[in-house]
Amino acid sequence: MFELDPGEDLTLIVDVVQRFSTDILSQQYRDFEANEAIPEAVLNSYSALGLSAMELPESLGGAGLGSRAKCTILEELGYGDPGATLALDGIGPALYALAELGGDSAVERIILPRLSDPSARIALIWDDGDARKKDSLCRADNRYSGTVPWLPCADADLLVILDKQGASLIESGFTFSPLRGSGLRAAGAAELVLDQAAIIERWDEPAGAARALAKWQLYIAALLVGVSRVAAETSREYAMERVAFGKPIAHHQALAFLITDMHTAVDSSRLLVQDAACRADAGQPFVEAAATAFVEASENALFVTPNALQIFGGQGFMQDLPLEKYMREARTLSLLAGGIDRAKEIAGQALCRIEGTVELSALALSR
Amino acid sequence: MDFAIDSATQQRIEKLQELGREHMRPLGIEADKLGRPTPPDHPYFEKLVAMGYGRTRYKGRKGQDDTPVKSADKNKAKKRARSRASLLLSEEMSYWDRGVAVSAPGPGLGEGAIMSMGTEDQKERYLSPFIKLDKPRWGAFAMTEPAAGSDVAGIQTRAIKDGDNWVLIGNKSFSGNSSRSDFILVWATVDPSLGRGGHRAFLVERGMPGLQDFHIEKKMGLKAYESTSFRLEECRVPGENLLGGEAYYESRAGFKGAMATFNATRPLIAAMAVGIGRSALDESLAFARENQMLDDSRVRDRLERVTRKLRVARLLCLKAAWLADNQRPNIVEASMSKAVAPTAAFEATSFGMELLGMVGGRGDHLIEKLFRDVKAMDIVEGTGQIQRVVMARQLVGLPHG
Repeated sequence: MFELDPGEDLTLIVDVVQRFSTDILSQQYRDFEANEAIPEAVLNSYSALGLSAMELPESLGGAGLGSRAKCTILEELGYGDPGATLALDGIGPALYALAELGGDSAVERIILPRLSDPSARIALIWDDGDARKKDSLCRADNRYSGTVPWLPCADADLLVILDKQGASLIESGFTFSPLRGSGLRAAGAAELVLDQAAIIERWDEPAGAARALAKWQLYIAALLVGVSRVAAETSREYAMERVAFGKPIAHHQALAFLITDMHTAVDSSRLLVQDAACRADAGQPFVEAAATAFVEASENALFVTPNALQIFGGQGFMQDLPLEKYMREARTLSLLAGGIDRAKEIAGQALCRIEGTVELSALALSR
Repeated sequence: MDFAIDSATQQRIEKLQELGREHMRPLGIEADKLGRPTPPDHPYFEKLVAMGYGRTRYKGRKGQDDTPVKSADKNKAKKRARSRASLLLSEEMSYWDRGVAVSAPGPGLGEGAIMSMGTEDQKERYLSPFIKLDKPRWGAFAMTEPAAGSDVAGIQTRAIKDGDNWVLIGNKSFSGNSSRSDFILVWATVDPSLGRGGHRAFLVERGMPGLQDFHIEKKMGLKAYESTSFRLEECRVPGENLLGGEAYYESRAGFKGAMATFNATRPLIAAMAVGIGRSALDESLAFARENQMLDDSRVRDRLERVTRKLRVARLLCLKAAWLADNQRPNIVEASMSKAVAPTAAFEATSFGMELLGMVGGRGDHLIEKLFRDVKAMDIVEGTGQIQRVVMARQLVGLPHG
C-alpha cells in the first residue's frame, strides 16, 4: 500500500549526499559559477560517494538502486547546486539512452570503462526533428550536421543524440565553443556545432527512445524539486525574520499564503516524480507519468523560484544571495530534455489513447 | 517503498464501482433533477445496509464483542493502512456521486469525536446500534451556524447548565443528514467570551423537545443528501449527554475534539474532490473523442493539465493519509490536500464545461452537474483559505486571530 518511507539503505545514502550537498555544493556555488567548472577536489569527493554506478543493474556491477533512489538523491544534489550536479555526474542521463536503446552491451562497452574516470563526459542531446528552426539538427547519410545553441557542459568526449525514433552515437566531427550561459553555469556552457559528424552507432526503437527521454525528464525534474525546495525553505526562513509594517513579512497574509503555496508546490512536484519513478522501478509504463512529473516540476519551480526572490525584495536580485541563481537554474533546467512543451505533448498524446478511466497514480498498477 | 495498492482495498473498490455504476450515479442524477434528497426510506439504503455499509468502527464494550476474532496480523495490517484505504474508497464513491455518498447511512462525522472523547456509556448508547445495523440509521454533526462558518471558535449556540440538565439555545446550519438522524452531535458554548475553551459537545437525540424547525436547504448541487438547518429552542439535554462528561472539559480540551475530527477528515474531503474531478475528466475525454477534438493541441494541453493537477491532488491526499496511518503529524499535509484538491477538481469540471461548449449550457449533461457539485468541496471542512491559515501557522508561525 502507498508507502513513502524510503527505507533504511536509501536513508543512509541520502544522509551522506545531503551532507555533501550542503557542506560543499551550497558553499562553493559562486566559485563554480565564476570558473564554469568544478574543482578537482570536489570531483574527487563526489566520486568517493560511489554514486556513479547506483542505477546500473547488479549484473553489470552496479547497485541496482533504481529510479526512485536516483531521483531522491538528485533532489538532494539539486538542493545544493543543480549545475554542479550535471558536471559531477558526467555520464548522467546519457546512461538512459544507451541502456534503453543499446542494452547491456552498449552499457558495458561505453559506460563501464568511463565510470572510474570522474572527468568523463557524455553529452546527451535532444533532436526534436523540427527542420523549420534555424539551428535544427540534420541527420542524413549516417552523419549529423547542425548547431545545438546551448549545452550545459564545456566539452564532451562522446555525444548521444536522442530523437523520437532512437539514438545516435558520435565521437568526432564536432566542436564546443564556450558561452557565458544563463543558468547551470557550474556545469560549463557551450555551443555545439556538428559538421558531417559520423554516427558510429545508431539504434532505432521508438519505444526505447521514449523511455530514455522519460528517464531524462525524471532526472531533470528531480533536480528541479531540489532547487525549488532550497528556494522555498530559504525564503520561508527569511520571511519569518524580516520585519515590515510592524510584523514579520510572513505574517502578512498575502505572503503567508504565498509561502504555503510554495511549500505545497515542492511537495507536489516530489510526489509526481516519485510516482513516475516507482512505475519505472516496477517495470510498468512510466513515459506519460515522467512527462507529467517534468511539466509539474518545471512549472512549480518557475512559480517557486521567482517568488522566493520576490520575498527577498531588492536583496533577492543581488548576486550576494543565491535567490537569483535559483531562478536561473529553474528556468534553464526546464529547457532540457526536450522542454516543457514536448513533455506536455507526450502526456497529452498518451491521454488521447486512454479509453475509459484515466488512472491517476501508480496505485492503479494492480488494477 | 512502493506506491501500489493492496488487494483487499482493490476488491473493495471494485465492489464500489459496481454499486456506483448501478445505483449511485443514477440516484445522484435523479436527485439532481428532482431537486431533493433521496428519501430515507429509499430501497437503496436498505441495500447498502445489507451489503455491510454504514457500520461504525466502534467494536462494542471490551469483552462484549461477539464477532469472531480475526487473526491479529491481518487486523494489524488493515489498521496500519486504514486512512489510505478509506481515502481511496471515498474517492471512488465520489467518482460515482458525491451527494449520494454522503447520504449513506452511518454514524456520521461525529463518530470520530465520540470515539476519541466519548465515555464508554456514550459510545455504547450512540454507536453500538451501528455495529450490526438492523436498518438504515444515520448520525449527524452540527457545528456550523448562520454566523459562524470557518471561524468555528465563534459559535453562538448557548449551553446553560440547569440542575442535572443542559439547556441548548441556538441555530445550526448545513448539517448533513440531520433531519433523518438518530442523534446529532451539537457543538455549543458555555460562554462565548471563552472562545474555544467554552465549547462543549452534546449528543442530542431525535425527538428531544426543543430540537425543531428542520429545514432542508436548496443547494446548487450535491442534492442527493440533505444539508439541514435546525433550531435548538431551549432544548433540554440530560447531563449524561455532554460528550465526554464534565471531567473531560476541565482540561479545557473542548475545541480540540472538533479539530481532531477535522484533521482526520480533511484528506477524505479532498479525496472526494479528486473523485468528482476524475469523473469530469473521464467524461471530458469521452466527449472530446466522440467529437474529434483530440487532434487539437490546445485541447490536449488542457486535458494534460487537468489530469496532472488531479494526480497531484490524489498523491497529496495519500501522503496525508499515509502520515496518519503511521501516527505522524499531518496537520500541514492534511490542509495541503484540502487546499489543492477542490481547486484541481473545479478546474476539471469547468474545463469539461468548456469542452462541451453550448452543450454545457443545456443543463442536462453529467459534467454540468459535476460543475455544480464540486464547488462545495472548497468550502466544507474548512475553505481553501482556512487551510492556508492552518498551514501558515505551522510553517511560519502565523499568529492566531
